[in-house]
Parts: sequence; structure tokens; C-alpha cells
Amino acid sequence: MIRWLNGGRGLSREAIVGLSLVSVYLVFTALFWAYPFFWLAKLSVTQWRFFDEPTFVGVRNFVRAVQDPQFLGALWNVVRFLALYLPIAFGGALLVAFGLQHVGRGRAFVALCFLLSNVSSGVALSLVFLKIFSSTGPLNNSLYAAIGVRIPWTNEPTLAMLAIALVVAWKFVGYYGLIVYSGLLTVPRELYDAARLDHAGRWTRLVRITLPMLNPQLMMVLTFAILVAFGLFTEPYLITGGGPADSTATPQMIIYETAFRRLQPSHAATMSIIISLGSYLLVVLARRLFEKKVVIA
Amino acid sequence: MRTRLSALLRSKTPGGWLVTIAIYALALTWLYPFAWMVTASLKPTAQIYTTGLFAGNWTLDNFRFLLATADKLDRPFLAALGISALVTVSVTASVLVTSAFIAFALARLRFPGRKLFGDFLLLQMVIPTTMFILPLFVLVKELGLLNSLAALVLPFMMSGWGIYMMSQSFRSMPEEYFDAARLDRASLWQTVTKVVMPLNTSIIAIVALFTFTGTWDNFLWPLIAISEADRMPLSVLLATFSKQYGGYAGPVMAGAVLQTLPLAVLFLLFRRQFLQGMALSLK
Repeated sequence: MIRWLNGGRGLSREAIVGLSLVSVYLVFTALFWAYPFFWLAKLSVTQWRFFDEPTFVGVRNFVRAVQDPQFLGALWNVVRFLALYLPIAFGGALLVAFGLQHVGRGRAFVALCFLLSNVSSGVALSLVFLKIFSSTGPLNNSLYAAIGVRIPWTNEPTLAMLAIALVVAWKFVGYYGLIVYSGLLTVPRELYDAARLDHAGRWTRLVRITLPMLNPQLMMVLTFAILVAFGLFTEPYLITGGGPADSTATPQMIIYETAFRRLQPSHAATMSIIISLGSYLLVVLARRLFEKKVVIA
Repeated sequence: MRTRLSALLRSKTPGGWLVTIAIYALALTWLYPFAWMVTASLKPTAQIYTTGLFAGNWTLDNFRFLLATADKLDRPFLAALGISALVTVSVTASVLVTSAFIAFALARLRFPGRKLFGDFLLLQMVIPTTMFILPLFVLVKELGLLNSLAALVLPFMMSGWGIYMMSQSFRSMPEEYFDAARLDRASLWQTVTKVVMPLNTSIIAIVALFTFTGTWDNFLWPLIAISEADRMPLSVLLATFSKQYGGYAGPVMAGAVLQTLPLAVLFLLFRRQFLQGMALSLK
């Protein structure tokens, strides 16, 4: 038997085993990560149509991308999505977190109910919501029976975006709620006791103690929400198909269409680089604006 | 028993009970799309929109149509189910084994460049994967793997995220276990499979569950890499079927049930590890 765990003498067997294990991953990552990375960089500064030789065009791709009205529209759609999604996501997450804190015994059951949507199939449930939101679907049928109106979910730009935001929120609120709940557990009880002595009401305690103490968790939710907004593809692709009139077309959908329907990979590669930088910058900006270091003095 | 129940009843005010009931009601509402999906898949298409949730003539015709008749429409769902299962199981098994060994090296072995490797994994996790889909397509095309199972398996056989998550968990193991393994002259294989893995089942379950779900439900990549219907995994075949034959609401919902079922079953089986693992990943 080889002694391979022998403390740390020179380039020991331990170091050799460690290095060879790690190099397996490095070979894999060189092929399926670094090489595509190189190609992406190359595509962004060349003109290529899948079959010909790439020709160097410098920054012309970037200039073209930032002037493409469809691409700019898709970026604006990210903003419209976030405007609808963030209130629902934060409201839902707080509701779930306080709910979990309140129920006590049935906590695991409630958490599982909210989390099932998070781990189940995005494709399948998009198709289900396509039916649920349709003009003769169950949602409109019960609305019609109750108050006599039908909501044209997929025919009006804001309603279509709201439908997407609701579906995505349905999927992620349980997860966000669990994040916020894990933060609630760390708030020291003495803070509330002290506040009660000062006759602070329920609302004051929420705004002055709970929410500030939850800042790290709420920042995490905000970060995830921004990344979700930029990565959106399956839900709008299957539920609205980007319509009406591109009002729910997301950057990922535009990139997919440009690369594989219109066969303009250079243009698509440039857009995907801009999107990645954009999501990164928005996350950094959000952190600058809202992240607070909370210190209990 | 009765005293316990009355103690439980007295533990909350009437208002508190109202809130509790509201929370349970909301939690059950969250399951409504699943209930609607399952019942719709069991009704004739004509009754899906016209009957109440639990009303209608129950039948398995939609599943029969999907698994037998759809074949004649060039929509081989049975084959797609097999492809999805094969791809998902291979990717998950490969990610688990490679992550466990490499994470063990990263967490417990001393070798030059160890810290650099950990930083590199973090960098990889920060860069969004959707950015790589287009150049990955170029690579897979160059390798001549378009429309093959290999296109769905090879690029996902290892996971930086899996390695990182497992190494975080392995790092907190007491050194005594490894002293004992050293004394017993355990081999690398024995150390990882007999010592490390049994003591970290929670994180392994989490990596397995997320890898399984992510691979089974992956949509954009197979949509790009596979264009022939008889090579498509279930997620893509179902979506193209729904786009082309949207009127067949019953069979589409039956397909949605098939696509959801393995994920829901796994989630319920591993719910304990999952909740633990969620808490782990939130730290």
C-alpha cells in the first residue's frame, strides 16, 4: 500500500496527489471554459457568420450593439421587469419569512410548499402558466365568474410583463423567504425587549430594528433578483414568446434569436458581453447604494 | 395527548390562529399550479377549461397519446424520456464523484497553488454561464458533436460550484478522522469514499439535487445543441410540441407532469437534507 498522506516533506506524495486531482479539473476547464472564453473575446472584435473566416473589425461590433434598437429595447425590458418584480419579490419574501417565524410546528411543511416551485421544472410550469393565464384559462374563468371581467394577460405590454414577473416570483419567493428567515433568526431578542421598554410600536420595531438587521439578507435577495432579471429566457420564451411587440423580449432571447435564427454570432457575442458587464455593474451599484454595515453599539 | 393539544391551542391568541390559517392557506395556494397541471393531464382536452379543478371524466388517454400516438407525429416522447434520464444520471454521477475528490484535494491536501485554485473557482462562479452558450456551441460544432448525447453530457461533467460547495463542508471536518485514516494506511479512494463522503451527506445531497434539477430542466443549451426530434431531451421536445400543437392541451399537460415528476419526487425524498443544505448555502 502506498503511503500518500505523509505530512508535508518537499513535493510529497500528498502534493503530487493534490496537484493531479486539481489538474483533472484544469484540463476540463481549459476545454469547456477557457477556450469558449477566448472565442467569445475573438467574436466580439471580428465579423463572422459561422462558415467564413473571421475578419477583424475592432470596436465596430460594440458600436453596432449599442445602436441596435431591439437590443436597447431588451435592456429597457429588464428595467420594466425589475420594477414589477422587486416589490413582489421583497413583499413575498418578507411575508414567507414572517410566516415561517409565526407558524412554529408546521414550519418544515410550509417551507416545502413554497420551495417546491423553486426546484421543479421551469419548462413544465411555464407551459402550465401559459394555460392558466390564457383568455379562457382558469384564472380568467374564475375572475369572470366573480366580477365579470377577463384580463388580457398576453395582449397588453405591461400585463404581459406582470404575468412573467408573477410566474418568476412564484418560483423564487420561497427561496428568498428562506434567506430572509435565516436572517430573522440572528436578530437578538434583547433589541425588541429594549424597544418595547421605549414604547416602540410594532411598525417602528419593523422599520427601525428588523429591516436594518436584515440588510445582508435583503441585499442577497436583491443580487439574486438582478441576476434572474438578466438571465431570463425560459419563461418569456414559452409564455409570451417575447410579445406583444417585443415588450417581454429579454436580452437572452434577443441573443438567442440573433445568433441562431439570424446567424449573426459576432453581434450576439458582443451583446452577451455587454449584458454580463451590465448585470455586474448593476449589482455593484445596488451594493454601493443599499448595503449597510450594521453594528450593534 | 389531550393536555398537549389544549396547551397547543392556548399557545396562540385568536388573532395568532387567524394568521396561522392564512399562512397555511397561502402555502397551499402556492401548490395550485401543480394541482391544476395534474388534474388537467387526467382530463380530456375539451374539459380542461370548462370543468372545475376536481370535476371531469378522469382518463389516462393523454399519457397514452403522448407515449404512443405522438411518435407518429415525429414526437418520440418515450425516447426523449430515456435521453433525459441517461444524460441527467450521467452528469449527476460524474459531478458528484469528481467534485468529491477534487474538493477533498482543495480542502485537505497541501500542494503548491492551492489558494490560487480556490480563488479561480470563485472567479468562475462570478462569471454568468449564459455568456458561454454561444462559444460553447462553436466548440461543440468544431468537435462534431452537435445532435449527439455527448453534447449534452461532456460540457457539464464537472462543476466548479460543486467542488467549491463540497470543499467548504470538507474543510470543517476534524483532523482526527484523517489521522485515523493515515494510521490505517487508507488509500485515496478509501479515504474519500469511506471517510469523507459518509460524513458529508447533506452537502452531497444538495449538490446532487441541484445538479440533477439543473440538468433535467436545462432548456436553452439542448434547444441550441439538438435540432433533431429523435435526439431531444424531454424539456426541449415538450416545448417544441407545445409550440406546434398548442391545441393538444391535455397531452401537453401530461408531458409537463412527466417533466416535473422526477424532480418533485427527489425533492420530497431528500427534503431533510435539502432544508439543511439550503441553510448551509446561505451562510
